[in-house]
Amino acid sequence: MSTPHDHILKSYDTELARLTGEIVRMGELAVNQLEAAIDVLMRRDSKAAQRVIDNDEAIDALEHEVSHDVVRLLALRQPMARDLREILAALRIASAIERIGDYAANVAKRSMALNVVAPVAPAHGLPVLAGLAAELVREVLAAYRDRDAERARVAWSRDAELDAMYTGLFRELLTYMMEDPRSITPCTHLLFMAKNIERIGDHATNIAENVWYVVHGEELAGTRQKRDLTASPQLPDLPR
Amino acid sequence: MTDSAAASIAPATAASAPAQASAPQTPKIAVRGLDFYYHGFHALKGISLDIPTRQVTAIIGPSGCGKSTLLRVLNRIYAIYPKLEATGEVLLDGENILDPRYSLNRLRSKVGMVFQKPVPFPMSIYDNIAYGIRHHEKLGRAAMDARVERALRQAALWDEVKDKLKQNALGLSGGQQQRLCIARAIALKPEVLLLDEPTSALDPIATGRIEQLIEELKRDYTIVIVTHNMQQAARCSDHTAFMYLGELVEFDRTETIFTKPARQQTEDYITGRFG
Repeated sequence: MSTPHDHILKSYDTELARLTGEIVRMGELAVNQLEAAIDVLMRRDSKAAQRVIDNDEAIDALEHEVSHDVVRLLALRQPMARDLREILAALRIASAIERIGDYAANVAKRSMALNVVAPVAPAHGLPVLAGLAAELVREVLAAYRDRDAERARVAWSRDAELDAMYTGLFRELLTYMMEDPRSITPCTHLLFMAKNIERIGDHATNIAENVWYVVHGEELAGTRQKRDLTASPQLPDLPR
Repeated sequence: MTDSAAASIAPATAASAPAQASAPQTPKIAVRGLDFYYHGFHALKGISLDIPTRQVTAIIGPSGCGKSTLLRVLNRIYAIYPKLEATGEVLLDGENILDPRYSLNRLRSKVGMVFQKPVPFPMSIYDNIAYGIRHHEKLGRAAMDARVERALRQAALWDEVKDKLKQNALGLSGGQQQRLCIARAIALKPEVLLLDEPTSALDPIATGRIEQLIEELKRDYTIVIVTHNMQQAARCSDHTAFMYLGELVEFDRTETIFTKPARQQTEDYITGRFG
């Protein structure tokens, strides 16, 4: 179905547009948080890391606003059909973005723990991983803003790249830990950070699925290729 | 939710003071301790509420709760029937309109009313609007044309009728007839518009147009709407009053009434548990 007509009641459109605006703004904040977290990690700046952690509140506050607006729209507008999907999706997308913000803040928090020990080499793999995650989140947000289901689907399928990259980093970190037990503490932090970033990718796919649902009214069909193999009992090519 | 729990959440609302609910600014109409009787029946019991200026106030409640009666008291329509009695005060800009010294003519010029069934006069579209104006004012041809056009534009009807102003108004659709009645009411430049179930005879598209019109009209007028349809109250009002058995149960911002009402009775009614 193409873009819907305006509502006869104009204020309804205004309120729906406001909801979209809040979510897009929330998403931008979350991506910025992820990038800032990686930046403070690489610069080993604990003060700046604390600022990243504190900034998470702004995302939480926007999520409250979205929840409030959703309740209001449901109670006062009695949404039907696509409007109903829009509002349901808004609530779910806001919750996904809130999680993305939490993961970014956690990366910043762990970077402070890393700053008290000597730098370890595999930390350099994280910016690449985070860069891809940020790109995927930006893509699904743009897809949401434009209600572009195809763009959402493409981003959705690219989560496999992120999973593959994460699996590689997982292996690399295991190798370091096996070679030098003194690296276990920093490498464990890096492992959790990498996992956080991989989870951000999963939330990006959730957002993509919601965009698809808004536009088409059905679930995004087909199985997404999973390349995060780290949970499998037999991780291939693991150093033994 | 129990009444006491509700009261603890929103102590400032009607739960703790059902007889008196307040709006933020100076009210256009302040109802104070209003009782109304017809033929001995106590139809309105101690109603007090403030109707805010240039906002939409909806009155909801089950049949027989007194909502239409309250609306009719607001322009003293009852005065044309004997054996009806109102006590208390209804202050329009601070003046008690229940006082017999407040002339009905003056009141009618300030308070316009639109009814459930559109009742256009059996004359041309143009004359439907001009008729009332001629009653109150002497206008030249050009001034009258301008007034008629302005009223029809404000009622969002002008584009549909501008080429057939001389045609009989009874040829319009139900939705157009209702907008014509609104145009007729606002042509007299009232300050308050009372709408009694204005869309109950209309289809959803015509209803949507009237609701959009209400939203535009509140820039210039104080609007009170009585409706059976609570979704309509939710969609197009700023404040909502819930009435039951002649009493005002709760009066608050519409958003509050429909998301977190203070009184159990209100919650039961809007969630379809009684009524």
